[in-house]
Amino acid sequence: MKKYQLGEFEEIVMLTIGILYKEAYGVAIKKEIETRLSRDVSMGAMHTALVRLEDKGYIKSFDGEATEERAGRPRKYFQITALGKKAMTYTKETRDSLWKAVPKVVWELNGIFQ
Amino acid sequence: MRNNPPPFFHRFFQWYCKPKLRDFIEGDLIEEYNERIRTFGKRKADFRFALDVIKLFRPGIIGRDKNFNRINNLAMLQNNFKIAFRNLQKNKVSSVINIFGLTTGIASCLLIMLFIQYELSFDKFQEKGNRIARVIMEYSFDGAPDSQKGNFTSTKVAPVFSRTFPEVERAVRISDLYTIVKHGEELITEKEFLHVDSSFFDLFHYELVKGSVGKAFHGINKLVLTESTAKRYFDSEDPIGKSLLIGTTSTPYEVVAVVKDYPTNSQIKFDFLGSFSSMGANQESTYYNANYTTYLLLRDEYALPTLQEKLHPFMEKESKGTGSHMRFFLERFSDIHIYSPYDAFVPNTSLGYMYIVGGVALLIIIIVCFTYVNLCTARSVERAKEVGIRKVSGAAKAQLFWQFIGESFVLCVLSLITSLAVVGAVLPFFNQLVGKQLTFDGLLNPAFLLGAFGVTITISFLAGAYPALILSGLQPAKVLKGVFRNTNSAKWVQQSLIVFQFAISILLIVATLVIQNQLYFIQHEKLGYDREHVVQLRINWDMPHDKAEVLKQELNAIPGVVSVSRCGNSPVRIISGYTMAKGWAENDEFMSVNANPTDTDFLKTTELELVTGSNFTIQDMKDAGVEDWEKKQYHFIINESACRKLGWTPEEAIGQKMFVNRPGYVRGVMKDFNFKSMHESIAPLVFFTETTGSVVLVKTTGTNIQETLDAAKEKWKTLVPERPFEFQFLDDSYNRLYESEQQLSQVMNVFAAIAIILATLGLFGLSSYMIQQRTKEIGIRKALGANLSSLLVALSGNFLRLVVIAILIACPIGYLAMKQWLNGFAYRIDLQWWIFLVSGLSALLIAAVTVSIHSIRASRANPVNSLRSE
Repeated sequence: MKKYQLGEFEEIVMLTIGILYKEAYGVAIKKEIETRLSRDVSMGAMHTALVRLEDKGYIKSFDGEATEERAGRPRKYFQITALGKKAMTYTKETRDSLWKAVPKVVWELNGIFQ
Repeated sequence: MRNNPPPFFHRFFQWYCKPKLRDFIEGDLIEEYNERIRTFGKRKADFRFALDVIKLFRPGIIGRDKNFNRINNLAMLQNNFKIAFRNLQKNKVSSVINIFGLTTGIASCLLIMLFIQYELSFDKFQEKGNRIARVIMEYSFDGAPDSQKGNFTSTKVAPVFSRTFPEVERAVRISDLYTIVKHGEELITEKEFLHVDSSFFDLFHYELVKGSVGKAFHGINKLVLTESTAKRYFDSEDPIGKSLLIGTTSTPYEVVAVVKDYPTNSQIKFDFLGSFSSMGANQESTYYNANYTTYLLLRDEYALPTLQEKLHPFMEKESKGTGSHMRFFLERFSDIHIYSPYDAFVPNTSLGYMYIVGGVALLIIIIVCFTYVNLCTARSVERAKEVGIRKVSGAAKAQLFWQFIGESFVLCVLSLITSLAVVGAVLPFFNQLVGKQLTFDGLLNPAFLLGAFGVTITISFLAGAYPALILSGLQPAKVLKGVFRNTNSAKWVQQSLIVFQFAISILLIVATLVIQNQLYFIQHEKLGYDREHVVQLRINWDMPHDKAEVLKQELNAIPGVVSVSRCGNSPVRIISGYTMAKGWAENDEFMSVNANPTDTDFLKTTELELVTGSNFTIQDMKDAGVEDWEKKQYHFIINESACRKLGWTPEEAIGQKMFVNRPGYVRGVMKDFNFKSMHESIAPLVFFTETTGSVVLVKTTGTNIQETLDAAKEKWKTLVPERPFEFQFLDDSYNRLYESEQQLSQVMNVFAAIAIILATLGLFGLSSYMIQQRTKEIGIRKALGANLSSLLVALSGNFLRLVVIAILIACPIGYLAMKQWLNGFAYRIDLQWWIFLVSGLSALLIAAVTVSIHSIRASRANPVNSLRSE
């Protein structure tokens, strides 16, 4: 039974929000992911992920300043909530436990069959 | 420099995005866009922007804040319905008026829809309907300008056509004659007796119950019965193989099959089908003797025009040298009932009649809608405060609009339910009114119910839209500040609706009065012959002359009988066509004419008047009665029109040689009289001495008519044992000529009454509100010393002015419309001024009474009550 649902891309988005800390808003998150993971992120995918995460209560948002560059639209900054943190830890822990469960021999034998 | 992203995609995004997300995603988009312009240039940025917008078009982003809206809508909807029902209960009078009005309107509309649906459903069940054609014949004589056209053909058409034209697959000839059938000891005249070729079953739909219609129906004296007829004659016995005695000769016909009763919405109607060959009428020598209807089964549905093209050249060849022109036209079977001027075996529907009835129903719906509009706008004063409060609490205009539309919808649905019940209840009367057999089943089929629901929604929209617009557009500040009055535009609309309603009502009253007057005129017009107390009996047309004379004498001997005559047709309707010529020579010019074989007593029995000359003599009858056709000599009595056509003065005409059927001399000239319907003007007519004829006219004194008839029946049994004693009064058969007019008059009566009642109800409701609004004014007037009558004038004058305007509008329209209708009659009443006066005055009177009910109550109220509170 899954306690916390967090998809791969969602996890990335959350981690990026964490990295950016107080500067996490749409365009910044997108750029951060693009540079760090060197992959293209579409506006659509990211915003759907953000909406979903907010619906789940893993992140919360607050309105920021409106700038000339954004034609007067406010920025919306995201922050990880306590629940979000739990979800991330949970995901990481399950991952780790899975990692640990993989017998060492798997890594060593890889070479033989290659 | 500011750059704007592509406007189309920008707007598209704004349209689909959730309002909550819109601003900041938009911000992100624009920020990205601007950055891209700096790095990639405008074109690429534009492209990427568009791509982003399209990629954003996905479930999480699209929407209209569902969560928030859904709950709200449901609650609002419930609340709206609650308010709607509360309002209905609160304003009982206007609710009852509205529901009553709408019910009547919808019910009338449903009935009309049923009627039209029934008419349109005719012959739809015939599987091969679009491949069947009916043959119409037109003929004229060389040199004669007029031609005859109708659904009559001779027996030659069917075989010749199916041999000559590859388009014709099968053909059937049908003859419908009243036929006498013996049932036990009793003789019954069966009216739905068709003689048909066996190909009938290849063309037309039938459901076999028993026996077979294939080879069994070939040959003479075979019979197919419908289920109910079989039950009537054989009860529960198996009729197959048994015989019925048919006709005056009591020929046994063998029953070979029983088929299901035919649907009523069919142009072909029968209880009996006899084999065509039993009549012994089959001949291929002439196209005349056209007493039969021919239907052709074509190869496919597209063959009709091709065949039609070949017919005229073919007939040109066929009728060469015969001295006559003959042409055939084809009618598509499925079009006959609605479009053809020639009746099938049931009367066709008349498009005009359907339009009139449908138009009247539409007018009623309009009146009903207007009543609703008026009552609602009048009540807007009451509901203004509600609207104000709602608007202050944040209701949008659109929400209020739909609330009021919803209210009218609730009302309409309630009315629809009641009107369905009403339709069920009045259907039998309506059937009588329009002379159809509509059933409630037609009402319950899904398509029809859907249609009815559609009408209801339309009405609720038509009637609800204007009040809803007015109400939802009110300014809350104005409304809540203090006293609110109807806006000027609303008043203007209300008044014009009242004018319109009354104009329609007056129009219908005028139409009703004119139709009734015309009918009265027709029914009481002196036609030139006596049709009162004249009884018509039927004998065999070839009953020997001396036998007929005995019958005449015997009947004449009965007390109460004035005179008896044997003839071809009664004077009510003489349509049998002949040709006449001046003189006896071969090359004389032939003209078509209506003619009637009569005897010496015809003039006496019908009291037709001679202008000059004398009646037929007994010797004349003997001249005509000789067996040898070549030696037959006729004598003629012609009418004034025939006299003119032949170019004689009445005095000149006496003793002239002339030719109708056989050569003869003119004995007398009679006054013109109407021997067809009043739609047609009087045509030339010739009476000739002939010793055959299937009608016996008996003129009675009119006293003790029943005794006279009983005595006649006794004698009939011994003298004419081969025929049942069935009589008809001439004035009945005369009135039957105007059945459709009578129907129209009845329909108009009913609908005019409904229209005027509805309009009155509307006025009643409206005046009550208008006067309620003026209670303070009345109070002040009274306090200043106005008396009852001056108050009445002040209150009612306004409404009556509207009715006067309505009269001014309706009268010219009514005049033109009814003039048009009357033009269909050759003999008609003048449109007299009193008809319009009566219609106008009655509308005025009804309006005055309606309004004064409220006015009087308002004027008699104590002014203290109305002025006390502010």
